[in-house]
Amino acid sequence: MAGATRSRLIEGETTTTDAVAGVTVGLSAILFALAVGALFEWVSLTGTVAGLPTVTLLGGLLIGLGVAVSLFGLGSWLGYVETDPDASAGLIAGFGAAVPWFVIGGGVVSQTLGLGTGAGVIGGLLVGGVAFAGTAVPREDVGSTVPLGALLAFVGAVFITGTIGPEWIWNLDWEQQASVTAEFLVPVATLFCALYGGWAAAKAYGRFGARGRHMGAYVLVYLNALSIVAFLFILIVFVVVKGLPGLLTGVEVGPGVGPQVFGLFELPVSVPLVMNGVALLNDFQGVLPAIVGTVWLVVGAVLFAVPLGVGAAVFLTEYAERGRFTQAVEVATNGLWSTPSIVFGLFGFAFLIPRFGNQKSLLAGMLTLGFMLLPLVLITSREAMLSVPDEYRDASAALGVSKWQTIRSVVLPAALPGVMTGVILGVGRIAGETAPILLTMAGGTFVPGGQTVNVIGGFEFTGTPPFVANPELLQATSALPYQLYALITAGVGLGSNVADPDGFRWATALVLLVVVLSFYAIGIGARYYFRQRLRHE
Amino acid sequence: MSDSQQTQTQNRTRTETTGNDQPLETTSGETVEEARAEWTEYDFRGNAKMVAEDLDVYYGDDHALKGVSMEIPEESVTALIGPSGCGKSTYLRCLNRMNDRISAARVDGSVQFDGKEIYQDGINLVELRKRVGMVFQSPNPFPKSIRDNISYGPRKHGDIDTGLLARLLGRDDSDAERKLVERALKQAALWDEVHDRLDDNALGLSGGQQQRLCIARCLSVDPEVILMDEPASALDPIATAKIEDLIDDLSEEYTVVIVTHNMQQAARISDQTAVFLTGGELVEYDETDKIFENPESQRVEDYITGKFG
Repeated sequence: MAGATRSRLIEGETTTTDAVAGVTVGLSAILFALAVGALFEWVSLTGTVAGLPTVTLLGGLLIGLGVAVSLFGLGSWLGYVETDPDASAGLIAGFGAAVPWFVIGGGVVSQTLGLGTGAGVIGGLLVGGVAFAGTAVPREDVGSTVPLGALLAFVGAVFITGTIGPEWIWNLDWEQQASVTAEFLVPVATLFCALYGGWAAAKAYGRFGARGRHMGAYVLVYLNALSIVAFLFILIVFVVVKGLPGLLTGVEVGPGVGPQVFGLFELPVSVPLVMNGVALLNDFQGVLPAIVGTVWLVVGAVLFAVPLGVGAAVFLTEYAERGRFTQAVEVATNGLWSTPSIVFGLFGFAFLIPRFGNQKSLLAGMLTLGFMLLPLVLITSREAMLSVPDEYRDASAALGVSKWQTIRSVVLPAALPGVMTGVILGVGRIAGETAPILLTMAGGTFVPGGQTVNVIGGFEFTGTPPFVANPELLQATSALPYQLYALITAGVGLGSNVADPDGFRWATALVLLVVVLSFYAIGIGARYYFRQRLRHE
Repeated sequence: MSDSQQTQTQNRTRTETTGNDQPLETTSGETVEEARAEWTEYDFRGNAKMVAEDLDVYYGDDHALKGVSMEIPEESVTALIGPSGCGKSTYLRCLNRMNDRISAARVDGSVQFDGKEIYQDGINLVELRKRVGMVFQSPNPFPKSIRDNISYGPRKHGDIDTGLLARLLGRDDSDAERKLVERALKQAALWDEVHDRLDDNALGLSGGQQQRLCIARCLSVDPEVILMDEPASALDPIATAKIEDLIDDLSEEYTVVIVTHNMQQAARISDQTAVFLTGGELVEYDETDKIFENPESQRVEDYITGKFG
């Protein structure tokens, strides 16, 4: 145990050094936020923040962070700050420091000094090797701070001296005319530097050693989780902000302004985008036929795939002997789940459409999407049933209850939440599919409101077998993903039909998002209900 | 030799043919006939409820139970003890054909219940398992309410119907269900603890309560024999004591067969004890007092005194 030191068991009051380390962690968080902002162009690189040019500010902050982190490490090494460092920062930290230094070294030698690629690689390896040695060889407090601090200070200096300014551009001599601009490089470099700085500062805040590494890992893990949530949030907010003006165009509130519901009463709200189709004389155009088409599409696919998938899962888990056959089925379902959607679309186009009146139809679309949904429902239902404890089956069998009744009354209820998860995931995938719809059921881009499918009202009885027919199911109709695709990429002109084409597109995207999220909400609500029934009846 | 072989083949109906390499002798060296003659000398208080004859069980190539013959007397507690892997649970699972549920298991030999062979084609497994119930090692209530756990069996057998259709047709059995639940829970000594929360989920009960609920669930279908596979091994001493009291009460009305690792428990609650030793043999079967005070076999004495196993 030579060199082992006893760490303090109880931490005292917050000390000045704690405060300094805490401030450096905070500083790296600010840098992280600024970098993300610059990446999404909320913070202008050519503009100013708090009275300073943005790039200069970023450079200054990076230098400050780098110097503070390095000073903390050196102070610990010289004994001014009380810490419990390990003998080395470790190989992973060494590689972590070596990679950015390799990039910098290689870039400087090959581009700034103009010595070519071969010399660049050698230079990068030399600089990276020094950084690796500087991290892994000395004691942890120096190794995990000084190389990273120097990196931050170097990048900061490059920014502050204007070597890489807001107008900087590096043309790569490729055929594709690719170039790296400051708009991309500065935020990304700052982002990585902020992560490195935050990592080193968190280690220093935890006073190195096991606790320091724990703090460092915490900062990285939290930043990671935070970014995932942030990106999701940004995406939704972005679509909502862009789509809301189009959605709210022509909204009226008041008695009797809305369309009739079931011919009984009139809604007190009128939202033309979701309540109208497209017509020449409409004041405001809408996407109602596409909404209804999407909803029926998903409902049809679920009605087709869920009973089949769950039934197959029951057979495979409860009745079939585990062996070659079940393995083959497993491989086949996994393969089906990974099959590209356009292939399913082609299958529907070549196999289903000739059998349903030789024209694109809602029914063909439903079945195609149902086929896509089937493997996931099968896989997840199977997993859910396998995870139902065998004790339940034993207990039921010991009461003399038959196998089928056991499955129906014990196994399936216990597996339902898992099955629901599969359906939720699957619906999320198929509701937004464009390619299969394009091939199997797409109608026009601008569908008049009068052509909204009416599946329930479409059933009619006939005198000949099969005695029931539904022409609505056999008609082409539109769906939101297809409509969006047609509006945006296929170059279908909006012409004079829509006053604000861009707003109309974004509003369609927003409606699609809301429809898919509503299916999600229904699924999650159902799963919650079934779980409650299992646990707290 | 050939004589006894004939008798046996007549007595036994083989459900699965395994060739004719059926060992005639038990592993202890005496013939089955001799062994049976010896055991039947033991004076049972009542009639034999279940009789196993020359029972062999194989799990794949593993010969888990070797030529066990044993009579289980009515309305008494029979304990099966022995070290792990000695085949006592396997034997227990043969008595209501739960081994059928393990696809690798093969059973060879004869078990009679009330004089009827249960290893024959055409046996009604539903009826057999209703009359020979089972309680498992770890408490395994269904994730349903306490009431539904009890009424599950009778409901599935069609004895009780409280479904929507029955209610609409006025054939609602709610009263019968209430009585059944109360009777089963009282028999399992659980009524006082749970009577005011019958609609709570059974998984919210403590381990000991869950195990008594499982016993009540087993009693709900009116069994005649109750097989218990180490019912108290997952429970603390207080819950164990409650289960033991319960078994004592149950033996007045039911035939109880219990597998246990705990020799004190076997000595406390059972009327007769069977000792299985490694390799799946039944080494000795006699009145409990005799087994624990003066066993015939040296191996059994070693096991009971803790010198082995």
